[in-house]
Amino acid sequence: MVTDKSATQVAESVEAPRETPVGWQPNIIAFACHYCAFAAADLAGVMRLSYPTSVKVVRLPCTGKLDHVYLLRAFERGVDGVFAAG
Amino acid sequence: MIVGEQKPFDEIWEMVKGHRQLTVFGCNTCVAVCHQGGNKEAEILASLLRMRAVQEEVTIEVVHGGIERQCEHPFFESAQEQLVASEAVLSLACGIGVQFVAGKYPSTPVYPALNTTFLGDVPADGLFTEKCQACGDCVLGVTGGVCPVSRCCKRLFNGPCGGSANGKCEISKEIDCAWQLVVDRLEALGKLDDYEKIAPIKDWSKDRAGGPRSFKLEGF
Ligand code: SF4
Ligand code: SF4
Repeated sequence: MVTDKSATQVAESVEAPRETPVGWQPNIIAFACHYCAFAAADLAGVMRLSYPTSVKVVRLPCTGKLDHVYLLRAFERGVDGVFAAG
Repeated sequence: MIVGEQKPFDEIWEMVKGHRQLTVFGCNTCVAVCHQGGNKEAEILASLLRMRAVQEEVTIEVVHGGIERQCEHPFFESAQEQLVASEAVLSLACGIGVQFVAGKYPSTPVYPALNTTFLGDVPADGLFTEKCQACGDCVLGVTGGVCPVSRCCKRLFNGPCGGSANGKCEISKEIDCAWQLVVDRLEALGKLDDYEKIAPIKDWSKDRAGGPRSFKLEGF
């Protein structure tokens, strides 16, 4: 199929940008692969490195397990950002 | 298979936003192959609609579901309860499935989430191309297996026209001239003599000109 890029509509953002409250911390969910990124996070813990408590790590057997709906459900539940590491 | 493309999200939202409850219903056969209307896409679309509802501050209970085929009764068994309880259904099937659901549940509004686009194949991953228009009187046997109805932009039966150049159609340089393909294929088959035969006027009464078509198996 031929797509005429100039005729493609770009959806306008329906959400108006809001003021960021002072001290606001984004709620981040991190999907991490058991074999690499999660192991690295574990190692970081052993090394007593710290990261903000607003980051929640979810271990996956592989980031290949990540699905569109996991990300969408996370956003539906109010996370501000998703981080996939693997 | 039947190929469809999801409608723009805003158009879908406009159709369904007045309901308080909605089932987003996938069809996991043809339109799942083109990643537009399968049960997975239904789940994604339901999630997007819920987020849109939050943004617009309207209350709609959006649930998702799906079956293998929305064009045959037996497949509905697993979803019967959910559909009966639905205020409205957003069907991700082709137009056939949407009509079938509407026919099954006469008092439930059913909306199409897809534009049904064509009957086609999958020549490469993620690519879908039109190959048949169900004309009701197939001529592939004499055209070397290339359909002049769906692949010739002018539906010529004695092509090519004067717009064929370097194997491409004058409509677009990205479209192969179907008649060039016919000639190449007949040549490869050693049947170029067939090309010289003038095709008679096609009987379009077997196409849509005869009204909606149906076919009944004996003994059923
Ligand atoms: S309703 Fe039937 S024909 Fe249409 S997409 Fe589903 S399985 Fe295919
Ligand atoms: S000739 Fe008719 S039936 Fe045969 S492939 Fe073309 S449109 Fe389909």
